[in-house]
Amino acid sequence: MKAASLGLVFFPAFDWAITPTHPEREERLLYTRDQIVEEGLLDLPAIKEYRPQLAGLADIERVHIGVPNIESLITDAHLLSAGGAIAAAQAVMRREVTNAFALVRPPGHHAMRVVHGTRGFCTINIEAVMVEYLRRHYGVQRIAIVDTDVHHGDGTQDIFYHDPDTLFISFHQDGRTLYPGTGAMSELGSPGAFCSTVNIPLPPGTTDAGLHEVLDRLVLPMLEDFRPDMIINSAGQDNHYSDPLANMAVTAQGYARLAEKLKADIAVLEGGYSIEDALPYVNTGIILAMAGLDYSRVIEPDNARCPRQSVATTNYIAKLVAEWQDIWQGRDRLRREAVAKAGGWWQQRRNIYYDDSGIQERQTETVRLCPRCHGYQLIDTQAQGYPFGMKSAFAAIIPRNSCPACRAQARDAVHKARQAGRHDCCFIQDKQEDILVPCGT
Amino acid sequence: MLLGIDVGGTFTDAVLIADGQVVAAAKTPTTRQSLLNGVVTVIDKVLTGVDAKKIRRAALSTTIVTNALVEGKTDKVALFLLPGPGLNVTGLIPGEPHFLSGYTDHRGREQACPAEAEVAAVCRKLEDHEVAAVAAKFAVRNPRQEQLVTDWVNKYLQPKHITLGTQVSGSLNYLRRINSAYYNSAVWRIFSRFAQAIEAALAERDIIAPVYILKADGGTLPLTTAKSTPVEAIFTGPAASVLGIMALTKPVEPAISLDMGGTTTDIALWQHGMPLFAPDGARVKDYPTAVRSFCLRSVGIGGDSYVRRENGLLAVGPMRCGPAMANGGLAPAVTDALRVAGLIDYGDIGLARQAMERVAEATQTAAEAAWETLRLAAATVCQAVQDMLAEQAARPVYKVEELVAGRPFKPELLIGVGGAASGLAPLVAKQLELPWQIPPGHMVANAVGAAAARPTTEITLRADTAQGFYTVPELGVIQEFAKRRFTLQDAWTAAGTHLAERAAAGGMAEAADCSERLYEEEFNLIRGFNTIGKIMTCKLQIKPGVLMPVQMREAEL
Ligand SMILES: [Zn+2]
Ligand SMILES: [Zn+2]
Repeated sequence: MKAASLGLVFFPAFDWAITPTHPEREERLLYTRDQIVEEGLLDLPAIKEYRPQLAGLADIERVHIGVPNIESLITDAHLLSAGGAIAAAQAVMRREVTNAFALVRPPGHHAMRVVHGTRGFCTINIEAVMVEYLRRHYGVQRIAIVDTDVHHGDGTQDIFYHDPDTLFISFHQDGRTLYPGTGAMSELGSPGAFCSTVNIPLPPGTTDAGLHEVLDRLVLPMLEDFRPDMIINSAGQDNHYSDPLANMAVTAQGYARLAEKLKADIAVLEGGYSIEDALPYVNTGIILAMAGLDYSRVIEPDNARCPRQSVATTNYIAKLVAEWQDIWQGRDRLRREAVAKAGGWWQQRRNIYYDDSGIQERQTETVRLCPRCHGYQLIDTQAQGYPFGMKSAFAAIIPRNSCPACRAQARDAVHKARQAGRHDCCFIQDKQEDILVPCGT
Repeated sequence: MLLGIDVGGTFTDAVLIADGQVVAAAKTPTTRQSLLNGVVTVIDKVLTGVDAKKIRRAALSTTIVTNALVEGKTDKVALFLLPGPGLNVTGLIPGEPHFLSGYTDHRGREQACPAEAEVAAVCRKLEDHEVAAVAAKFAVRNPRQEQLVTDWVNKYLQPKHITLGTQVSGSLNYLRRINSAYYNSAVWRIFSRFAQAIEAALAERDIIAPVYILKADGGTLPLTTAKSTPVEAIFTGPAASVLGIMALTKPVEPAISLDMGGTTTDIALWQHGMPLFAPDGARVKDYPTAVRSFCLRSVGIGGDSYVRRENGLLAVGPMRCGPAMANGGLAPAVTDALRVAGLIDYGDIGLARQAMERVAEATQTAAEAAWETLRLAAATVCQAVQDMLAEQAARPVYKVEELVAGRPFKPELLIGVGGAASGLAPLVAKQLELPWQIPPGHMVANAVGAAAARPTTEITLRADTAQGFYTVPELGVIQEFAKRRFTLQDAWTAAGTHLAERAAAGGMAEAADCSERLYEEEFNLIRGFNTIGKIMTCKLQIKPGVLMPVQMREAEL
């Protein structure tokens, strides 16, 4: 048996911040760096360090549609954090290591397919960019993404909402009590990909016990049923009891045991803003667990202040798990019903708020449900915000395996929109050709 | 005059330097059993007809520490660790750890107290240990607990020597500080004895000048100071050759240097006239340490490398079977190939030809076999150079700017030194498509390096203006100041004072003028949305380097 080995891409971006006092600022990974270096983790034979690379614009545009374009909305730091995730994936795919952890910033899981600016500290979705990179360059098909951040991974959900090959599981503090407010159980994926989105909203105060209950009785069995080629972990660390932005009660041990059970092929850092009291310990625990090393001694010095889980919370979680088990058992029937009910088309209208950029977006998404292929999607978006006033766009997304009829229809829709001239920009994101074509008006 | 002595694996060399000129050089086989015999012999040779009182400074590079480690002639160390929460180091370090309570966190805040009773109990179990080491996690952020436990160990165990982790390094990396402290104590007795013998031998020869020991980072330490930090004297051979190159020819362009000796070729990389340093420290017997050293790679190709056929395939090195046949040895070696190919003109050509005939294939002449040997030897060195360059290019960085603007290291020159360099280095340069240079004096580059090396030392100052104190772990300093009224400029000023203090304590006060900023880091500490202080790190060193450029007219010696 080959010893477990972990590829670590550590890129703290010590010279990048959203703003000087923003939670997502230069020293966010400073104390993590201190802990990792002080522990000597980078000297262990089971851990191999990699440097990130600059992701290309093509890698980003395989996922995102930036309005008016993605270049104007991002910095080199974004390309490097996405490139860090890609470097981690490459190390695993080349079999240089058994698994990898991209400990990078800025994070990405709140970035949706259409990007007008920064929301929830995220501008581009680094896991999604990595997933599509894996599909394009290594032909990996079935991918499960387990989002363990305390916030709902609404961006990742949006990007894969119509893709039955991507199982997106997010457990998070209930959206009724925390940003971004989404992630209810009823968000299950559009009919063609029904139940490939799994949201598990947990009550504030959930501890290691609650989290592992959900993991053991829901998440791990779901992964077993789905049989993914790869498991990706959106490893947010803001479930920690000391996190200033959330109200959960998970410890470093809880996170490390989670990493050990989940056996993700690639983990990518997301949130986590208790930069002094949690991140050094949580990250050390996850690194050791992923490298197959003893993590039992990683215990926060102030561990005694972690609250206990209330009986009410324990009961609530038990009920939630039972409810989800029912849905999961009946998922095939539910999908058939949803498809039948939708007919050929499915549509949703949404308002999306960009808290970091102060942008309000209105979006209508129309999905074609095709009996022969994965169909296609049309997006009509209008955003309002400082300093640009109003901007609008229309886009068609053609998935990897679309039939000729769907391709033609999707292109036609964009041409019509362009002729109508009501949008500032029009795009075709063609996943088969692997290009994003902007069409001027 | 400066006296430089290099105890190498095969030869012990000595040089005398006067006014930047090598005025005498001598060579004698290294006496493995008693290194001192060889050292004494070579000193007597080089001092023939010289007034020993004119020697201003004597410096020595020695394998004593490396040999002691390789041969396992080290002492049992009582190892006291305060690991706090984190990695379980059991099995990852040499020796048996004894874990104690007590923890200081990453900001130097005491989180749990050490217990005297625990230390006393461990000491009772370890009564037969004569040396000890104490290392606490994050002691570089606050050395108080490490010092406290050291006091207790002195009280209950009374070892002959005790090493503190912070004493061997002021940098983060607990694992490396443990290993360094452990080895420092483990080799302390053998090094002290050697140092005393050297002092006696020099005194006998009327050499009254101060004596220095070369360090792995190319600096020197007064022998008396080196007695308390002998671990710094590992790997000084390659460091000596790097210093020798610096003295003999300071490359201005990015360069690769090869020190091609009897058994190995040591590769170093150069930028802006300085060799690159290893990012963290040297490895000792597969254990990473905090001993600062040049970025070096050693490959088993040298003049004595054994040449043979294995299943019809030619093989060169990494082992040696004594000297080459041209020099009276019994087995074919690279030097024989160089002789037959006409690239060197010493040694017996007839014996060299016999050697090459022995490794030639049926259809090959001796000359063809010689060239095949040399191409293979050069290719092996080239591969090691390429690997080293690739590793350099993949070295992680932690800032956006470094990744976007950083240029990969691209060598423009190859420098060869050492016995096998004149024949082999040009072949390596040709394969790498680089111009090459072999400076006069290259045969004794290591001894020149030892003679000309400057004393160095470094300190790390870390200030936390929210807590209102700074630490200098190498000196065990914890200094309080008025909260928030401390700037980066103040930090550098204080660092300068402490560096001078450390230099003076190490008997190198005059060297403190050549200080250089090694590292600077400054972060805001934010609570809520307010800046409540700054965390600053300054690393200041006395620049490693040479006292003066050295010239040598090859023909004279
Ligand atoms: Zn989050
Ligand atoms: Zn179709």
